[in-house]
Amino acid sequence: MIRRIALALTFAITLPVFAARVGAPAPTFTGTDSHGSTISLSQYRGKYVVLEWTNKDCPYTRAQYESGNMQALQRKWTAKGVVWLTILSSAPGHQGYMTAAQENAWIQTVHADPTAAILDPDGTIGMAYGAKTTPHMFVINPEGKLIYDGAIDDHPTTDSSAVDKAHNYVTDALTEAMAGRVVATDYTRPYGCSVKYASEGE
Amino acid sequence: MRALRNTIFILLAALLPLLGRAQATATAPHLTVQLVVPPAQIFPGQHFTAGLYFKLAPGWHVYWTNAGDSGEPPAIDWNLPAGITAGPMQFPAPQRLPLGPLMDFGYEHQVLFPIPVTVPSSFKPSGPTATLGGKVTWLVCSNVCIPGKATLSVDRPALASPPASPGTIAADQQLIDEFRNTLPQPLPASDQARFLATSKGFTLAVKTGHREQSAEFFPFDSSILSNAAPQPVQPFGDGVKIALTKDQNLNSTPNQLHGVLVLGNRRAYEIHATPGTLVLSAASASSSAMLRIVLLAFLGGIILNLMPCVFPVLFLKGLALVQSSSEERRKIRLHGLVYTLGIVISFWIIVGTLLALRAAGHNFGWGFQFQSPLFLALLALLLFFLGLSLAGQFEIGLSLTSAGSGLAAKQGYTGSFFTGVLAVVVATPCTAPFMGAAIGYALTASAATSIAVFTAVALGLAAPYLLLAFNPAWTRLLPRPGAWMEVLKQAVSIPIFGTVIWLVWVFNQTAAAASLVFLLTAFLLLAIAGWILGRWPAKTPATIAAVLVVTAAVAVPLWAIHTLAPSQVASVQDAVWQPFSPDLVARYRSEGKPVFVDFTASWCLSCQVNERVVLDRPEVQDALKSSGVELIRADWTRHSQVIADTLASLGRDGVPTYALYPANPNDPPHLLPEVLTPGIVIRALDQLKAGDSSAAKSGL
Repeated sequence: MIRRIALALTFAITLPVFAARVGAPAPTFTGTDSHGSTISLSQYRGKYVVLEWTNKDCPYTRAQYESGNMQALQRKWTAKGVVWLTILSSAPGHQGYMTAAQENAWIQTVHADPTAAILDPDGTIGMAYGAKTTPHMFVINPEGKLIYDGAIDDHPTTDSSAVDKAHNYVTDALTEAMAGRVVATDYTRPYGCSVKYASEGE
Repeated sequence: MRALRNTIFILLAALLPLLGRAQATATAPHLTVQLVVPPAQIFPGQHFTAGLYFKLAPGWHVYWTNAGDSGEPPAIDWNLPAGITAGPMQFPAPQRLPLGPLMDFGYEHQVLFPIPVTVPSSFKPSGPTATLGGKVTWLVCSNVCIPGKATLSVDRPALASPPASPGTIAADQQLIDEFRNTLPQPLPASDQARFLATSKGFTLAVKTGHREQSAEFFPFDSSILSNAAPQPVQPFGDGVKIALTKDQNLNSTPNQLHGVLVLGNRRAYEIHATPGTLVLSAASASSSAMLRIVLLAFLGGIILNLMPCVFPVLFLKGLALVQSSSEERRKIRLHGLVYTLGIVISFWIIVGTLLALRAAGHNFGWGFQFQSPLFLALLALLLFFLGLSLAGQFEIGLSLTSAGSGLAAKQGYTGSFFTGVLAVVVATPCTAPFMGAAIGYALTASAATSIAVFTAVALGLAAPYLLLAFNPAWTRLLPRPGAWMEVLKQAVSIPIFGTVIWLVWVFNQTAAAASLVFLLTAFLLLAIAGWILGRWPAKTPATIAAVLVVTAAVAVPLWAIHTLAPSQVASVQDAVWQPFSPDLVARYRSEGKPVFVDFTASWCLSCQVNERVVLDRPEVQDALKSSGVELIRADWTRHSQVIADTLASLGRDGVPTYALYPANPNDPPHLLPEVLTPGIVIRALDQLKAGDSSAAKSGL
């Protein structure tokens, strides 16, 4: 019990310290993708980068994938030169955790099309960004500045048929930024299931 | 064949109503949900409270209207007979649900969401039964989440007009009643809630009139606070203060904090906290915090012995101790105790006066008595007279013993007592770094705490001498009486005269310029009195004459102070530092200029040291100039209510206080420590620049 409190406290103290701030440089990170390559944010300087926190078993994420909405977004924007990174921060033994092989298999199954899928089982990248839910979306501009942090769209739902009715914030952010305009909605409350960071049991 | 088909049809027809029958309760994974409708009939003009009741499996929860870092509150999409309307779902006070590094807000075990329902007076039943129903959706989670939905409905007889005695469904009514006081109440009009921006977020202060040990704040707006951050609580006698951490993406101070405040004893209030200060009284602290403060105060008291204001008095007692080293140990110990008693009682008188003044609504800081020219004059006269005696002009002990009066220098227990008193009197303006915090805290705390803290300081102040008096071994270390004692006695007069010079300088700042000459005349009269006493020792006529001269010496400056108007506060005005006014600070900030305010006073030694050694240093002046900071000096040498109030609003009680106000009027002032170094000032200026530029970058 005390350990749990201590751990929660440690996370509580560090989470705000390390969390990202819109308008500030996005936290740099280095991770391993599902093919074993090392990926770091700095190698994509000069391009738009979208970070998508995922958890295949979360009903909200499932609605995005079962409706095909997430895959369509990935394809649309990677075609325009945007780097799309799917990040899995579920800790081992927690909901959504996958090994590299399982992740590749899942990507094949759902026909997802990210640039890379990063495995973050110890939650370092998640904590650095303050990723709270799945899906939680971040958009970084070519100068490395965080220009959007929040929900994928304005309609939290677990119903895949309702997804296409929603207004997509990631599309907005990328469209506005690419047109040289200031992103109008740069911070929203992300919805979804909580990211399954490691904790001393629940 | 036909008969069979008909039978099946009839069977189906009979079953059909059963299938369409209203289901008030549904069972879903990890919960059961029930639509609660207490009235037994539905009729026109009716208002009642329906409810949505969830009973949850252990370890599973549903969410509050602001679910926190993740999650979604339940919702109901009503399907009601024509004309009947349902108001918004109401949310009981939530609890914090931690999930690793994240924090959600919601409910465990069971919860009932009341919903007001109105049947208009124009309601016409379309049949014998009214069906009230709706589609309920929810998210139930433990460490994983499961969305759920159910369609619930209840049937009630529909009447065309109100019945004579409307009935209620007992079970449903019981549920509504059971959960009635889980809803947050509006904050009573007599209570207040205010918040102030801090560097990390906000301090929410709530005055309820009771001592609050625990409090949690749940905001309705999810973008204002960091949900997971702990909310340290500071209990007060009539309320509570909570430190809230803001969301890292929050760029401006909200104009209100609207949310639910959950206090101990299952009380919950919906509050709209507005920006502003709230003075909460009588913080009777927890025992551990109390202990720490008392210890600090004791330490401060010990350190006070080293201050130049106190040290001469200690010398005097040391002398007396040396002289009595041949006396019995018991007597020495008793002297020590009496000295301690003198100190403690003086402190009690001071704290008693301060508490009485605070009760009367005044706001005096520690050291305030040094703003009174009268006090300064009297103290200067007393010390001057004492110095004359020590320097050898006359012997106080002899003459005054025979005169039957004489206090501080009198040998014996009375002398020890009043030496203690004297030590306190000169110690007060030397607000050492420890003292400021402890005293400031004590003066905002309950009477019991204030007295405890001041007693600790008193004991600390008395400790060194008491230690000597109680340690016979160390008394033996003291040298045997001899001629050197006379030399030592005369030498002690030097720091005493030094103190007199300082008092005169402070007096000059606070009183009219012309009264100085009267004070100096008083010194001359004292010297004459001393000469009389020295030339004709222990002779009654001479003593009487001396007493008369002393009286004149005291009366002269008194009269001068009383009749002559004090000059304008000769504040340390030069081209660099401007005089303080809150409007000036506000004006500069609205012009986008940061402001550095130096709260100081001439009687405050640490202020003078900080100014000479740090603030007036060329490199610090350059740093201040190049950072575009406006320099303002708040001179508290003479009492100023405006300055006293400003200090109180900064959470400080006395001087020195250094406040760096950022250019953005929404940002709170940054307080520097009481002991300055050039590094501290320059670092604070750098932080200011960094804060301003990052604010600019995020598009403020």
